[in-house]
Amino acid sequence: MNCADVRQHWELYYDSEGDSELYLQINEHLAACQGCAKWFFQQAQFEDAVTAKLAAAEPTAELWQRVLYETGVARPASARGWAFFSPFLALAASLLLVVGVWQFAPQRPPEHLSELTAVVHQQLTDESEQIEFSSLSDVEVEEYLKDRVSFPVRCPPRKDAGFEVRGGGVCTIAGDPAAYVVGRVENKDVSIFILPAERLAQFVHERDVLSREAVHHCHEGEYDMVLAKVDRNIVVVIGRGSPDKLERVVRAYGTYPHDPA
Amino acid sequence: MAKPSDDRTARFLQHLEPLKAALEAYCRRSVHDPSGVEDVLQEAVGKAFRDFHLYAEGTNFRAWIFRYLNLEIYAGNRSFHRERREALANEPTVEDVWEHAIDEPLIERLLGEPERILSHCDEALATAIGELSPLERSVLLLRAIGQFKHREMADILEVPMGTIMSALSRARARLRLRLAEYAREHGLLGPGSLQNPK
Repeated sequence: MNCADVRQHWELYYDSEGDSELYLQINEHLAACQGCAKWFFQQAQFEDAVTAKLAAAEPTAELWQRVLYETGVARPASARGWAFFSPFLALAASLLLVVGVWQFAPQRPPEHLSELTAVVHQQLTDESEQIEFSSLSDVEVEEYLKDRVSFPVRCPPRKDAGFEVRGGGVCTIAGDPAAYVVGRVENKDVSIFILPAERLAQFVHERDVLSREAVHHCHEGEYDMVLAKVDRNIVVVIGRGSPDKLERVVRAYGTYPHDPA
Repeated sequence: MAKPSDDRTARFLQHLEPLKAALEAYCRRSVHDPSGVEDVLQEAVGKAFRDFHLYAEGTNFRAWIFRYLNLEIYAGNRSFHRERREALANEPTVEDVWEHAIDEPLIERLLGEPERILSHCDEALATAIGELSPLERSVLLLRAIGQFKHREMADILEVPMGTIMSALSRARARLRLRLAEYAREHGLLGPGSLQNPK
Protein backbone atom coordinates (compact mmCIF):
# COMPACT_ATOMS: atom_id res chain seq x y z
CA MET A 1 0.00 0.00 0.00
CA ASN A 2 1.34 3.42 -0.88
CA CYS A 3 0.66 6.69 0.94
CA ALA A 4 -2.35 7.59 -1.21
CA ASP A 5 -3.98 4.17 -0.68
CA VAL A 6 -3.41 4.33 3.04
CA ARG A 7 -4.80 7.86 3.38
CA GLN A 8 -7.80 6.95 1.29
CA HIS A 9 -8.73 4.38 3.93
CA TRP A 10 -8.10 6.47 7.04
CA GLU A 11 -11.78 6.68 8.00
CA LEU A 12 -12.24 2.91 7.87
CA TYR A 13 -9.12 2.59 10.00
CA TYR A 14 -10.19 5.27 12.45
CA ASP A 15 -13.69 3.85 12.78
CA SER A 16 -12.34 0.29 13.06
CA GLU A 17 -14.51 -0.68 10.14
CA GLY A 18 -12.01 -2.22 7.77
CA ASP A 19 -11.21 -5.90 7.87
CA SER A 20 -8.18 -6.96 9.87
CA GLU A 21 -6.07 -7.41 6.74
CA LEU A 22 -6.56 -3.74 5.87
CA TYR A 23 -5.85 -2.80 9.47
CA LEU A 24 -2.59 -4.73 9.53
CA GLN A 25 -1.46 -3.34 6.16
CA ILE A 26 -2.10 0.22 7.32
CA ASN A 27 -0.28 -0.44 10.58
CA GLU A 28 2.72 -1.72 8.66
CA HIS A 29 2.73 1.37 6.47
CA LEU A 30 2.37 3.74 9.42
CA ALA A 31 5.26 2.06 11.20
CA ALA A 32 7.48 2.79 8.18
CA CYS A 33 6.16 6.17 7.01
CA GLN A 34 6.48 9.10 9.41
CA GLY A 35 4.54 11.45 7.13
CA CYS A 36 1.47 9.23 7.07
CA ALA A 37 1.79 8.45 10.78
CA LYS A 38 1.67 12.18 11.55
CA TRP A 39 -1.18 12.69 9.09
CA PHE A 40 -3.21 9.86 10.66
CA PHE A 41 -2.49 11.18 14.12
CA GLN A 42 -3.82 14.61 13.15
CA GLN A 43 -6.99 13.19 11.62
CA ALA A 44 -7.65 11.06 14.68
CA GLN A 45 -6.81 13.90 17.07
CA PHE A 46 -9.34 16.16 15.38
CA GLU A 47 -12.09 13.53 15.28
CA ASP A 48 -11.40 12.64 18.93
CA ALA A 49 -11.74 16.30 19.88
CA VAL A 50 -15.04 16.64 18.00
CA THR A 51 -16.31 13.41 19.53
CA ALA A 52 -15.34 14.59 23.00
CA LYS A 53 -17.30 17.80 22.39
CA LEU A 54 -20.37 15.89 21.26
CA ALA A 55 -20.12 12.98 23.64
CA ALA A 56 -22.92 12.20 26.01
CA ALA A 57 -22.89 14.01 29.33
CA GLU A 58 -24.68 12.72 32.41
CA PRO A 59 -28.39 12.19 31.77
CA THR A 60 -30.71 14.79 33.31
CA ALA A 61 -32.36 12.96 36.19
CA GLU A 62 -35.48 15.14 36.37
CA LEU A 63 -36.09 14.91 32.64
CA TRP A 64 -35.84 11.12 32.67
CA GLN A 65 -38.06 10.88 35.71
CA ARG A 66 -40.76 12.81 33.86
CA VAL A 67 -40.25 10.82 30.65
CA LEU A 68 -40.56 7.49 32.46
CA TYR A 69 -43.61 8.57 34.47
CA GLU A 70 -45.39 10.02 31.47
CA THR A 71 -44.80 6.90 29.41
CA GLY A 72 -45.96 4.63 32.22
CA VAL A 73 -42.60 2.87 32.47
CA ALA A 74 -42.12 4.05 36.06
CA ARG A 75 -44.70 4.87 38.69
CA PRO A 76 -44.72 8.11 40.68
CA ALA A 77 -43.42 7.66 44.21
CA SER A 78 -46.27 6.24 46.28
CA ALA A 79 -44.84 6.70 49.75
CA ARG A 80 -45.59 10.39 50.05
CA GLY A 81 -45.41 10.21 53.84
CA TRP A 82 -41.64 9.99 53.48
CA ALA A 83 -41.62 13.45 51.94
CA PHE A 84 -41.86 15.04 55.39
CA PHE A 85 -38.78 13.21 56.57
CA SER A 86 -36.78 13.51 53.37
CA PRO A 87 -34.79 16.66 54.33
CA PHE A 88 -33.73 14.96 57.57
CA LEU A 89 -32.89 11.75 55.75
CA ALA A 90 -30.89 13.68 53.17
CA LEU A 91 -29.00 15.46 55.95
CA ALA A 92 -28.30 12.18 57.74
CA ALA A 93 -27.14 10.56 54.50
CA SER A 94 -24.84 13.49 53.76
CA LEU A 95 -23.31 13.27 57.23
CA LEU A 96 -22.75 9.55 56.83
CA LEU A 97 -21.16 10.16 53.45
CA VAL A 98 -18.84 12.82 54.83
CA VAL A 99 -17.84 10.59 57.74
CA GLY A 100 -17.34 7.68 55.36
CA VAL A 101 -15.19 9.67 52.97
CA TRP A 102 -13.18 11.17 55.83
CA GLN A 103 -12.61 7.81 57.45
CA PHE A 104 -11.83 5.69 54.42
CA ALA A 105 -10.44 7.91 51.68
CA PRO A 106 -7.00 8.62 53.18
CA GLN A 107 -6.41 4.91 53.82
CA ARG A 108 -7.09 3.86 50.26
CA PRO A 109 -3.87 2.92 48.44
CA PRO A 110 -3.43 3.91 44.80
CA GLU A 111 -4.93 1.24 42.61
CA HIS A 112 -3.07 -0.57 39.86
CA LEU A 113 -5.14 -1.60 36.91
CA SER A 114 -2.74 -4.45 36.20
CA GLU A 115 -3.22 -5.96 39.67
CA LEU A 116 -6.99 -5.62 39.61
CA THR A 117 -7.37 -7.18 36.17
CA ALA A 118 -5.00 -10.01 37.10
CA VAL A 119 -7.28 -10.91 40.01
CA VAL A 120 -10.36 -11.06 37.78
CA HIS A 121 -8.46 -13.01 35.10
CA GLN A 122 -7.43 -15.53 37.74
CA GLN A 123 -11.04 -15.88 38.93
CA LEU A 124 -12.27 -16.40 35.38
CA THR A 125 -9.65 -19.00 34.55
CA ASP A 126 -10.01 -21.02 37.76
CA GLU A 127 -13.81 -20.71 37.33
CA SER A 128 -14.38 -19.19 40.75
CA GLU A 129 -16.11 -16.54 38.66
CA GLN A 130 -18.45 -17.77 35.93
CA ILE A 131 -18.16 -16.30 32.46
CA GLU A 132 -21.38 -14.37 31.98
CA PHE A 133 -21.87 -15.11 28.31
CA SER A 134 -20.30 -18.00 26.44
CA SER A 135 -19.96 -17.82 22.68
CA LEU A 136 -17.42 -18.63 20.01
CA SER A 137 -18.60 -15.69 17.91
CA ASP A 138 -16.82 -12.35 18.22
CA VAL A 139 -19.91 -10.59 16.84
CA GLU A 140 -22.19 -12.17 19.47
CA VAL A 141 -19.80 -11.27 22.28
CA GLU A 142 -19.55 -7.72 21.00
CA GLU A 143 -23.33 -7.37 20.82
CA TYR A 144 -23.67 -8.80 24.31
CA LEU A 145 -21.19 -6.35 25.79
CA LYS A 146 -22.46 -3.30 23.95
CA ASP A 147 -25.86 -3.96 25.39
CA ARG A 148 -24.56 -4.02 28.94
CA VAL A 149 -22.10 -1.21 29.36
CA SER A 150 -22.63 2.48 28.81
CA PHE A 151 -19.17 3.10 27.30
CA PRO A 152 -18.14 2.16 23.77
CA VAL A 153 -16.86 -1.36 23.26
CA ARG A 154 -15.27 -2.51 20.03
CA CYS A 155 -15.31 -5.99 18.57
CA PRO A 156 -12.97 -8.58 20.08
CA PRO A 157 -9.95 -9.75 18.08
CA ARG A 158 -10.53 -12.61 15.70
CA LYS A 159 -8.82 -15.88 14.91
CA ASP A 160 -6.58 -14.27 12.31
CA ALA A 161 -5.06 -12.25 15.15
CA GLY A 162 -4.47 -15.51 17.02
CA PHE A 163 -7.34 -15.04 19.47
CA GLU A 164 -10.12 -17.58 19.83
CA VAL A 165 -12.98 -15.92 21.62
CA ARG A 166 -14.89 -17.95 24.22
CA GLY A 167 -17.17 -15.40 25.79
CA GLY A 168 -17.46 -12.17 27.68
CA GLY A 169 -19.16 -10.28 30.42
CA VAL A 170 -19.07 -7.33 32.74
CA CYS A 171 -17.06 -7.20 35.95
CA THR A 172 -16.22 -4.52 38.49
CA ILE A 173 -12.78 -2.96 38.46
CA ALA A 174 -12.07 -0.39 41.17
CA GLY A 175 -15.77 0.07 41.82
CA ASP A 176 -16.93 0.66 38.25
CA PRO A 177 -18.01 -1.64 35.44
CA ALA A 178 -15.49 -2.98 32.96
CA ALA A 179 -16.16 -5.30 30.04
CA TYR A 180 -14.13 -8.46 29.62
CA VAL A 181 -13.64 -10.89 26.78
CA VAL A 182 -12.19 -14.32 27.43
CA GLY A 183 -10.52 -16.56 24.90
CA ARG A 184 -7.41 -18.48 24.06
CA VAL A 185 -4.10 -17.61 22.45
CA GLU A 186 -2.04 -20.64 21.46
CA ASN A 187 -4.26 -22.77 23.72
CA LYS A 188 -3.61 -20.58 26.75
CA ASP A 189 -6.30 -18.63 28.58
CA VAL A 190 -6.21 -14.95 27.83
CA SER A 191 -8.57 -12.22 29.02
CA ILE A 192 -9.12 -8.81 27.51
CA PHE A 193 -10.42 -6.06 29.79
CA ILE A 194 -12.02 -2.98 28.30
CA LEU A 195 -12.61 0.24 30.20
CA PRO A 196 -13.63 3.71 29.07
CA ALA A 197 -10.55 5.84 28.33
CA GLU A 198 -11.60 8.48 30.89
CA ARG A 199 -10.93 6.00 33.68
CA LEU A 200 -7.22 6.12 32.99
CA ALA A 201 -7.13 9.14 35.30
CA GLN A 202 -8.02 6.75 38.13
CA PHE A 203 -4.93 4.61 37.64
CA VAL A 204 -1.91 6.85 38.07
CA HIS A 205 0.75 4.32 37.16
CA GLU A 206 -0.94 3.14 33.98
CA ARG A 207 -1.80 6.71 33.00
CA ASP A 208 1.85 7.68 33.25
CA VAL A 209 3.20 4.74 31.27
CA LEU A 210 0.58 5.13 28.54
CA SER A 211 1.42 8.81 28.20
CA ARG A 212 4.93 7.70 27.23
CA GLU A 213 4.25 4.48 25.32
CA ALA A 214 1.48 3.54 22.89
CA VAL A 215 1.61 -0.08 24.03
CA HIS A 216 2.93 -1.06 27.44
CA HIS A 217 4.18 -4.51 28.45
CA CYS A 218 4.40 -5.65 32.04
CA HIS A 219 4.12 -8.72 34.28
CA GLU A 220 1.69 -9.34 37.06
CA GLY A 221 2.52 -12.43 39.05
CA GLU A 222 2.72 -15.30 36.61
CA TYR A 223 0.92 -13.41 33.87
CA ASP A 224 2.17 -11.33 30.98
CA MET A 225 0.18 -8.23 30.29
CA VAL A 226 -0.15 -5.64 27.52
CA LEU A 227 -1.95 -2.34 27.95
CA ALA A 228 -2.92 0.21 25.32
CA LYS A 229 -5.31 3.06 24.78
CA VAL A 230 -7.37 2.17 21.73
CA ASP A 231 -9.77 4.83 20.51
CA ARG A 232 -12.01 5.56 23.52
CA ASN A 233 -11.00 2.46 25.48
CA ILE A 234 -8.23 1.31 27.74
CA VAL A 235 -7.51 -2.26 26.71
CA VAL A 236 -5.67 -4.73 28.91
CA VAL A 237 -4.72 -8.13 27.55
CA ILE A 238 -3.53 -10.63 30.15
CA GLY A 239 -2.54 -14.26 30.10
CA ARG A 240 0.34 -16.66 29.79
CA GLY A 241 0.80 -16.14 26.07
CA SER A 242 4.02 -14.74 24.67
CA PRO A 243 4.26 -10.93 24.84
CA ASP A 244 4.35 -10.66 21.03
CA LYS A 245 1.14 -12.64 20.69
CA LEU A 246 -0.56 -10.60 23.38
CA GLU A 247 0.47 -7.37 21.67
CA ARG A 248 -0.95 -8.70 18.43
CA VAL A 249 -4.26 -9.22 20.25
CA VAL A 250 -4.23 -5.64 21.54
CA ARG A 251 -3.52 -4.28 18.08
CA ALA A 252 -6.31 -6.32 16.58
CA TYR A 253 -8.86 -5.15 19.16
CA GLY A 254 -11.55 -3.15 17.43
CA THR A 255 -10.93 -4.41 13.93
CA TYR A 256 -14.26 -4.92 12.34
CA PRO A 257 -15.38 -8.43 11.43
CA HIS A 258 -16.10 -9.03 7.78
CA ASP A 259 -19.75 -8.29 7.13
CA PRO A 260 -21.21 -10.96 4.85
CA ALA A 261 -23.89 -8.45 3.76
CA MET B 1 -44.83 -13.36 42.92
CA ALA B 2 -43.82 -10.79 40.30
CA LYS B 3 -46.33 -10.11 37.57
CA PRO B 4 -45.16 -10.59 33.96
CA SER B 5 -45.73 -6.88 33.33
CA ASP B 6 -43.44 -6.00 36.26
CA ASP B 7 -40.78 -8.25 34.86
CA ARG B 8 -41.15 -6.67 31.42
CA THR B 9 -40.84 -3.19 32.91
CA ALA B 10 -37.80 -4.18 34.94
CA ARG B 11 -36.10 -5.64 31.87
CA PHE B 12 -36.90 -2.56 29.81
CA LEU B 13 -35.47 -0.26 32.48
CA GLN B 14 -32.41 -2.45 32.82
CA HIS B 15 -31.72 -2.09 29.10
CA LEU B 16 -32.55 1.61 29.09
CA GLU B 17 -30.50 2.71 32.09
CA PRO B 18 -27.00 2.69 30.54
CA LEU B 19 -28.29 4.39 27.38
CA LYS B 20 -30.03 7.39 28.93
CA ALA B 21 -27.07 9.74 28.55
CA ALA B 22 -26.47 8.84 24.90
CA LEU B 23 -30.16 8.99 24.00
CA GLU B 24 -30.53 12.39 25.60
CA ALA B 25 -27.35 13.80 24.06
CA TYR B 26 -28.30 12.50 20.62
CA CYS B 27 -31.76 13.98 20.97
CA ARG B 28 -30.49 17.38 22.14
CA ARG B 29 -28.05 17.62 19.23
CA SER B 30 -30.59 16.44 16.65
CA VAL B 31 -33.85 18.26 17.34
CA HIS B 32 -34.28 21.64 15.72
CA ASP B 33 -36.61 22.90 18.44
CA PRO B 34 -34.74 22.73 21.76
CA SER B 35 -37.99 22.88 23.71
CA GLY B 36 -39.10 19.66 22.04
CA VAL B 37 -36.40 17.39 23.50
CA GLU B 38 -38.57 16.01 26.28
CA ASP B 39 -41.55 15.39 24.00
CA VAL B 40 -39.41 13.56 21.47
CA LEU B 41 -37.78 11.40 24.13
CA GLN B 42 -41.16 10.69 25.66
CA GLU B 43 -42.66 9.60 22.35
CA ALA B 44 -39.69 7.41 21.50
CA VAL B 45 -39.44 5.74 24.90
CA GLY B 46 -43.22 5.32 25.09
CA LYS B 47 -43.39 3.60 21.70
CA ALA B 48 -40.36 1.44 22.40
CA PHE B 49 -41.89 0.34 25.70
CA ARG B 50 -45.21 -0.38 23.98
CA ASP B 51 -43.37 -2.56 21.42
CA PHE B 52 -40.92 -4.09 23.88
CA HIS B 53 -42.55 -7.50 23.45
CA LEU B 54 -41.25 -7.38 19.85
CA TYR B 55 -37.67 -6.94 21.01
CA ALA B 56 -35.73 -10.21 20.95
CA GLU B 57 -33.70 -10.55 24.13
CA GLY B 58 -29.99 -10.86 23.43
CA THR B 59 -30.10 -8.77 20.26
CA ASN B 60 -28.95 -5.17 19.97
CA PHE B 61 -31.19 -3.09 22.24
CA ARG B 62 -29.09 0.04 21.65
CA ALA B 63 -29.73 0.01 17.93
CA TRP B 64 -33.34 -1.01 18.50
CA ILE B 65 -34.24 1.95 20.71
CA PHE B 66 -32.15 4.45 18.74
CA ARG B 67 -34.28 3.58 15.71
CA TYR B 68 -37.39 4.66 17.63
CA LEU B 69 -35.69 7.84 18.76
CA ASN B 70 -34.49 8.66 15.29
CA LEU B 71 -37.97 8.27 13.81
CA GLU B 72 -39.36 10.62 16.47
CA ILE B 73 -36.61 13.16 15.86
CA TYR B 74 -37.35 13.20 12.13
CA ALA B 75 -41.08 13.53 12.82
CA GLY B 76 -40.49 16.30 15.39
CA ASN B 77 -38.20 18.22 13.06
CA ARG B 78 -40.66 17.94 10.16
CA SER B 79 -43.44 19.23 12.36
CA PHE B 80 -41.28 22.09 13.65
CA HIS B 81 -40.43 23.20 10.14
CA ARG B 82 -44.03 22.93 8.99
CA GLU B 83 -45.00 25.23 11.81
CA ARG B 84 -42.29 27.66 10.82
CA ARG B 85 -43.23 27.23 7.15
CA GLU B 86 -39.73 26.04 6.45
CA ALA B 87 -39.70 22.68 4.78
CA LEU B 88 -36.74 20.42 5.38
CA ALA B 89 -36.20 20.61 1.65
CA ASN B 90 -35.09 24.19 2.17
CA GLU B 91 -32.15 23.11 4.26
CA PRO B 92 -28.86 23.51 2.45
CA THR B 93 -28.38 20.35 0.46
CA VAL B 94 -25.23 18.32 0.50
CA GLU B 95 -24.23 19.68 -2.88
CA ASP B 96 -24.81 23.31 -1.89
CA VAL B 97 -22.04 23.21 0.61
CA TRP B 98 -20.02 20.31 -0.70
CA GLU B 99 -19.33 22.17 -3.90
CA HIS B 100 -17.44 24.84 -2.00
CA ALA B 101 -13.77 24.58 -2.76
CA ILE B 102 -11.92 22.87 0.07
CA ASP B 103 -9.15 25.06 1.36
CA GLU B 104 -6.58 22.39 2.28
CA PRO B 105 -4.06 24.69 4.02
CA LEU B 106 -6.90 26.09 6.11
CA ILE B 107 -8.03 22.61 7.12
CA GLU B 108 -4.44 21.68 7.97
CA ARG B 109 -4.23 24.62 10.36
CA LEU B 110 -7.46 23.51 11.97
CA LEU B 111 -6.10 19.98 12.40
CA GLY B 112 -2.91 21.33 13.92
CA GLU B 113 -4.49 22.31 17.24
CA PRO B 114 -8.06 21.06 17.29
CA GLU B 115 -8.69 21.16 21.02
CA ARG B 116 -7.64 24.80 21.41
CA ILE B 117 -9.77 25.86 18.45
CA LEU B 118 -12.76 23.71 19.34
CA SER B 119 -12.81 25.13 22.85
CA HIS B 120 -13.87 28.43 21.23
CA CYS B 121 -16.33 26.93 18.76
CA ASP B 122 -19.28 25.55 20.73
CA GLU B 123 -21.83 27.60 18.88
CA ALA B 124 -20.13 27.18 15.51
CA LEU B 125 -20.06 23.43 16.02
CA ALA B 126 -23.78 23.36 16.81
CA THR B 127 -24.50 25.53 13.77
CA ALA B 128 -22.32 23.41 11.51
CA ILE B 129 -24.12 20.26 12.67
CA GLY B 130 -27.45 21.99 12.11
CA GLU B 131 -26.43 22.75 8.53
CA LEU B 132 -25.79 19.12 7.68
CA SER B 133 -28.45 17.19 5.82
CA PRO B 134 -30.67 15.09 8.12
CA LEU B 135 -28.91 11.87 7.13
CA GLU B 136 -25.42 13.34 7.53
CA ARG B 137 -26.34 14.76 10.91
CA SER B 138 -27.79 11.46 12.10
CA VAL B 139 -24.79 9.47 10.96
CA LEU B 140 -22.27 11.87 12.46
CA LEU B 141 -24.06 11.98 15.80
CA LEU B 142 -24.81 8.27 15.96
CA ARG B 143 -21.12 7.63 15.42
CA ALA B 144 -19.85 10.26 17.85
CA ILE B 145 -22.41 9.91 20.62
CA GLY B 146 -23.59 6.33 20.26
CA GLN B 147 -20.31 4.89 18.92
CA PHE B 148 -22.38 2.91 16.45
CA LYS B 149 -20.81 1.01 13.62
CA HIS B 150 -21.73 1.36 9.98
CA ARG B 151 -23.82 -1.81 10.06
CA GLU B 152 -25.77 -0.66 13.11
CA MET B 153 -26.34 2.80 11.65
CA ALA B 154 -27.59 1.21 8.45
CA ASP B 155 -30.12 -0.74 10.54
CA ILE B 156 -31.19 2.28 12.58
CA LEU B 157 -31.57 4.60 9.62
CA GLU B 158 -32.73 1.90 7.19
CA VAL B 159 -30.31 2.89 4.45
CA PRO B 160 -27.55 0.85 2.75
CA MET B 161 -24.09 0.64 4.31
CA GLY B 162 -22.53 2.45 1.36
CA THR B 163 -24.84 5.40 1.92
CA ILE B 164 -23.83 5.50 5.58
CA MET B 165 -20.13 5.52 4.71
CA SER B 166 -20.43 8.31 2.17
CA ALA B 167 -22.74 10.37 4.40
CA LEU B 168 -20.31 10.08 7.33
CA SER B 169 -17.38 11.05 5.16
CA ARG B 170 -19.23 14.07 3.75
CA ALA B 171 -20.44 15.12 7.18
CA ARG B 172 -16.91 15.09 8.55
CA ALA B 173 -15.53 17.03 5.62
CA ARG B 174 -18.27 19.64 5.79
CA LEU B 175 -17.87 20.03 9.53
CA ARG B 176 -14.14 20.62 9.14
CA LEU B 177 -14.71 23.16 6.42
CA ARG B 178 -17.27 25.08 8.45
CA LEU B 179 -15.15 25.06 11.59
CA ALA B 180 -12.05 26.12 9.68
CA GLU B 181 -13.94 29.00 8.10
CA TYR B 182 -15.30 30.04 11.47
CA ALA B 183 -11.84 29.83 13.04
CA ARG B 184 -10.34 31.95 10.27
CA GLU B 185 -13.11 34.55 10.50
CA HIS B 186 -12.63 34.82 14.25
CA GLY B 187 -8.87 34.90 14.25
CA LEU B 188 -8.48 31.53 15.94
CA LEU B 189 -5.95 30.10 13.49
CA GLY B 190 -2.28 30.68 13.73
CA PRO B 191 0.18 31.46 16.51
CA GLY B 192 -0.90 34.04 19.03
CA SER B 193 -4.27 34.45 17.37
CA LEU B 194 -6.20 33.82 20.56
CA GLN B 195 -4.62 36.74 22.35
CA ASN B 196 -6.47 39.08 20.09
CA PRO B 197 -9.53 37.36 18.62
CA LYS B 198 -11.77 39.47 16.44
